[in-house]
Amino acid sequence: MATIANSGAATPAVRLSPRVGAWLLGCAGALVALAVWTLLSQLLAHGGGVINRLPTPLAVARKLVAYAGKDLASDLLASLHVFAVGWLVGAASAALIGLVLGRSDRLGRTFLPIVEAIRPVSSIAWVPLAIVWFGFGLTSKVFLVGLAVFLVVIVYAVDGSRRVPADLERTATMLGMNDRQRFVSLVLPGTLSEVLIGSRVALMSGWGTVIVAELVAADSGLGAHLIAVEQSYDVPAIMATMICFAATGFAMNAAFTWAERRMLPWRHDREREAT
Amino acid sequence: MSERSRSLLARQVALPLVGVACVLAIWQATLVAYRLPAIVLPSPLAVAKTLVDLVQTSAFWRDVGVSLFEFFAGYAIGVVLGLFVGMLMGEARRFRMAAAPVVESLRFVVPFAWIPLTILWFGTSYVGKILLVAYAVFFVMVVSAARAVAQVEPTLSRVGTMLGMSRWRLAWQVHLRAAAPTLASAARAAAAIGWIAVVAAEYIGASAGLGLMITNAATSLATSVVIGGMIVIGVIGAGVSAVIGALARRWFDYR
Repeated sequence: MATIANSGAATPAVRLSPRVGAWLLGCAGALVALAVWTLLSQLLAHGGGVINRLPTPLAVARKLVAYAGKDLASDLLASLHVFAVGWLVGAASAALIGLVLGRSDRLGRTFLPIVEAIRPVSSIAWVPLAIVWFGFGLTSKVFLVGLAVFLVVIVYAVDGSRRVPADLERTATMLGMNDRQRFVSLVLPGTLSEVLIGSRVALMSGWGTVIVAELVAADSGLGAHLIAVEQSYDVPAIMATMICFAATGFAMNAAFTWAERRMLPWRHDREREAT
Repeated sequence: MSERSRSLLARQVALPLVGVACVLAIWQATLVAYRLPAIVLPSPLAVAKTLVDLVQTSAFWRDVGVSLFEFFAGYAIGVVLGLFVGMLMGEARRFRMAAAPVVESLRFVVPFAWIPLTILWFGTSYVGKILLVAYAVFFVMVVSAARAVAQVEPTLSRVGTMLGMSRWRLAWQVHLRAAAPTLASAARAAAAIGWIAVVAAEYIGASAGLGLMITNAATSLATSVVIGGMIVIGVIGAGVSAVIGALARRWFDYR
């Protein structure tokens, strides 16, 4: 009888299907990581070196369950509210402005350099100014998230509005389309599909901005909870909150990638890296 | 000057200048129209004056130095480790399968989410920020190195094998070089992300640095310093990634 474990042997008696193998190796990797974590937490249990304390995975899981039973839903809802409003505002304004700047050569040359100059100043650098302008409430966070999303999506919107495939252009001429028809059936769909892709790329920078904004202007949401547990030195609860952030980001990314594949099946294989 | 180059000059230089002038005019007009006090929105001139004053103080250069030191130390660690692990993941299929779930799930724990924890662990010292930058840079490099190495043109590998190269020599001399252009642009993207991670970490707990400078200015409502600091952060960020991009291209990109 061959065992599954000896897949590394020279001539395994049973060849695993590659998928099962990947699964097993993946589980093994995750287990090793958890084991190293547990071991480290044992070693550092009494305040080893610079790291004050590292809780065991179990302690973190317990905190996570406790948090899930209490405030997680309302905090998550508050963060998602900020994120959704900012993301929609940012993507919509980027689509509109990108379309104008992309289609008009003169306006584009005039104002795109400014957009390019603002882009390296990440939305994170705007946090103190946003707080001075809008205080600690919803507005300042929506502004920051909107800005983060805008700065990513505008590039895609300009790009999409300019790049109408030449054969489609010729077809439009052949069909005798006027400018309005061309805009509605060529430029607009091209821009919107690029904007959709940009909005997916912007998910992570928008969500990251939510985190920083809530850490600095901590009045509600997951970030405020993170700062609260940090100030009570509750390391397991900090890690549990980090997991919540990561899981939410992951879920949003997965959902959006799925939606994009359904809506733009011809594009998902050509996706570009976020800048 | 020929007709052509004049019109080119007008399009390339004059129109962007018009754009800048428009923005400054709108800025100034908003101030005048709404009678905004300087703590809400200082005039463009006031910001320029503050910047000039700022660069003459030693405290400012100390903040810049601290932020840059934290950035470069973390960046170096992150790039070296990230390339190493990413190469391993690209070369060794089994290692990739084992490491992928851990890397993929940690990738979603964005660097910013680590800030409170690094402050508890390392206080307001440099160590926390350096590790944070290293973490941010590491994941950018791992993901792109693994992908770039795994996607190297198979013919190159076959040629290497035919020439009798060992597996690791093949990895080092063929795959790494073939993947280099991708790695150069990843190194540049990682620089931008790492720089912002430094600034964000300094907002929340630091004893010096540009992030601390502008949050302190914001709490004392010195808005012109806040805007000046943002400009400095943007310029340094763009400068750092331009320099790293140029260096990376010179070293890696043979095309």
